[in-house]
Amino acid sequence: MKEWLSSPLFGIALCIAAFAVGVYIQKLLKTPLANPLAIAIALVIAVLNTFNISFEDFNQGGQIITMLLAPATAVLALSVYNQLDVLKKNFLPTVAGCLTGSVTAIVSVLLMCRFFGLDQTLTASLLPKSVTTPIAVVVSEQHGGLASITVAAVVITGVFGTIFAPLLTRLFRIGNPVATGVATGTSSHMGGTTAAIQMGEVEGAMSSIAIGIAGLITTLIALFL
Amino acid sequence: MFIPIPFPSSVISMVLLFLLLLSKRVESRQLIDSSNFLLRNMSFLFIPAGVGIVQVFDKMKGHLFQIFTICIVSTILTFAVTAYTVKGAIWLRERIRSRGEEAC
Repeated sequence: MKEWLSSPLFGIALCIAAFAVGVYIQKLLKTPLANPLAIAIALVIAVLNTFNISFEDFNQGGQIITMLLAPATAVLALSVYNQLDVLKKNFLPTVAGCLTGSVTAIVSVLLMCRFFGLDQTLTASLLPKSVTTPIAVVVSEQHGGLASITVAAVVITGVFGTIFAPLLTRLFRIGNPVATGVATGTSSHMGGTTAAIQMGEVEGAMSSIAIGIAGLITTLIALFL
Repeated sequence: MFIPIPFPSSVISMVLLFLLLLSKRVESRQLIDSSNFLLRNMSFLFIPAGVGIVQVFDKMKGHLFQIFTICIVSTILTFAVTAYTVKGAIWLRERIRSRGEEAC
């Protein structure tokens, strides 16, 4: 009777339904805080818990959706290409921003882990949380971190970026689409970039570029830690 | 395989597509429909990964508050430092440029 639960269609259908509810709630409340992604995640977790459905069953469909993230990342090249002039004009400021940002991310995590007295495993797992998942996992494991915790930290950061990037832009009075884009991509990788795309074409393109540059810089810095 | 440092396939494919666009082998209008669909619904693709966090709650037990605090505070700091660096660098560039013009 429960066979249909482990069909990939179940996980996919559940995600679509949860996301639809999330989009509907956001339209209703009209605030970036009612983020469709955050709502959908909470709903799916609630459904799985309520009906005692295992994560493995859900993930039959879930992993198909996750797989699509790779082509979606590739497509970011198109938004970069469409903003080629902006990138050429701002290449040095972009690299400078990615550099100071990546250093800030690593140093701040190190200091806070020290402050909270977290052990080496947790520290290494959290260290690369501002870069995109595949890079973060490699960096984490090189320093004795746990991939699963790293993925969780990356996702927490990404979801936070999706929800709060527009608010942070206003809070810090950035007022410059290039700076907003680079800051979003450097601080919260793909998650933040989904929000940057909504903010504008320049923001989306610069955020996409920052994912790559910040990932590269973080990998290089991590070699010396 | 050819790159000495670990680099994810998704970012490599982004670079490859970018090069194809630059070399005009692929034209952007060929991609517009499918790419708009993917870009508009990108956050949807993160749902399973987000749900997956529950899987590691056990391993993070006792540190949940710290982990969330670290992720959030560090992201805000990174955002601010990056944005102000970019703004500062653009400002510096404009200043140097205007000075160069004065010298002429």
